[in-house]
Amino acid sequence: MFNDRAMSSDDSNPAATPTPCQDIQGDGRWMCMHNRFVSDSKGKEPDVLFVGDSLVQLLHEFEVWRKLFSPLHALNFGIGGDATQHVLWRLGNGELDHISPKVVVLWVGTNNHGHHPHQICGGIMAIVNLINQKLPHAHTLVLGLLPRGKNPNLLRDRNAEVNQLVQSEVATLPHASFLNVDPGFVHSDGTIWHQDLYDYLHLTPQAYQKVCEPLHDRIKALLDQPAENQVS
Amino acid sequence: MSGEEQNPAAVPDPVQDVQGDGRWMSQHNRFVQECKDAEPDVLFVGDSMIQLMQQYEVWRELFSPLHALNFGIGGDTTCNVLWRLQNGELDNIRPRVVVVWVGTNNHEHNAEQVAGGILTITQYLRSCLPRSKVVVLGLLPRGERPNPLREKNASVNSLLRSALDRGGPVQFLNMSGAFVHSDGTISPRDMFDYLHLTAGGYSTIATPLHELLLQLLEETPQERRASLV
Repeated sequence: MFNDRAMSSDDSNPAATPTPCQDIQGDGRWMCMHNRFVSDSKGKEPDVLFVGDSLVQLLHEFEVWRKLFSPLHALNFGIGGDATQHVLWRLGNGELDHISPKVVVLWVGTNNHGHHPHQICGGIMAIVNLINQKLPHAHTLVLGLLPRGKNPNLLRDRNAEVNQLVQSEVATLPHASFLNVDPGFVHSDGTIWHQDLYDYLHLTPQAYQKVCEPLHDRIKALLDQPAENQVS
Repeated sequence: MSGEEQNPAAVPDPVQDVQGDGRWMSQHNRFVQECKDAEPDVLFVGDSMIQLMQQYEVWRELFSPLHALNFGIGGDTTCNVLWRLQNGELDNIRPRVVVVWVGTNNHEHNAEQVAGGILTITQYLRSCLPRSKVVVLGLLPRGERPNPLREKNASVNSLLRSALDRGGPVQFLNMSGAFVHSDGTISPRDMFDYLHLTAGGYSTIATPLHELLLQLLEETPQERRASLV
């Protein structure tokens, strides 16, 4: 079991402690998906790797993936329900071992229930640091957490605070940058529409289109830069 | 199921807002509101297997044209669906067919209880909509390889098949056979996480379901004057 010295598991922050998902339900799906990603990484040479939770995973199932990201030679290592500690475990246990993408897109944090914004930020930064160690030539693009829930609520506040903290921390790093991909899902009356987030959390295909166009442009710009010189 | 103890899978129960953004109740309230405005011929109700269908092209191609409403909520158990139906999601609508797909999330219950919960839902639907037909979809296999949940879901399906008469007002449609390969595995091309269907997976089940719905709609008269096409 790999336990990296430089950004080791921070036992005082559960969001930054690599943790696999336990198979409570009985069908072992999480580990099967992780193993599939590890074996995918042995056969492929992606230029872009997407990693995170269901917002990453579901993206792969809609037309927008085929149109915008397949042409960039992208792989998708999203698992629904994952929090930062799960992604940290996956990346430290094989998912980065056989590939050298130029850009890693990281989108995780909204499932860190019970963790405070500082802890969630710590978890995201632990992932950014792990990626930098394993893939020193890659640029990590951290996506902002989207608002959620039909009406204003504590999770929106929490996600907004996480975004502020992460944006500041990432600004000091040459190998990473932060991108806010919220095109304005919250309307003037404070509501989110189900036409955008069909369950007030997950994106509809039309909402993915709005999120992914600027994301695609940003990734392309990063891919077009010479490897040593990536500046956010 | 003995009459003495209540089946826990047949007890109506809303989802508590543990996470803090009230999404389940928001979705339920939206469905209740939709009942005030819409006149669906087909109502789909259940868990994420129903909910996610609406996000794929297949919904627009095959089911929207049937004037269908989608009242799926991810994570729902039979208890949650029963509560929703009893608390407004059938008010003011008279769908000619109701499609029910729920049971795979009933982790606290055994196969008999889950089947009993699904049958309680169908009985409730029949009591509210005596002239409508109900289609119960069989639980799909899950997990990459054979595992206890596949066995449990298969048992639920067996129990439902025995309980429901072919050609009666409540029909059972099971499409599980399409997904398990000869080596016992399920492909991520059909179920991207070995549970939820891809666009291709939905296309596989949509065809027989659509055919059955067309047939049932023909058999089941409308209760109001026909809408203009």
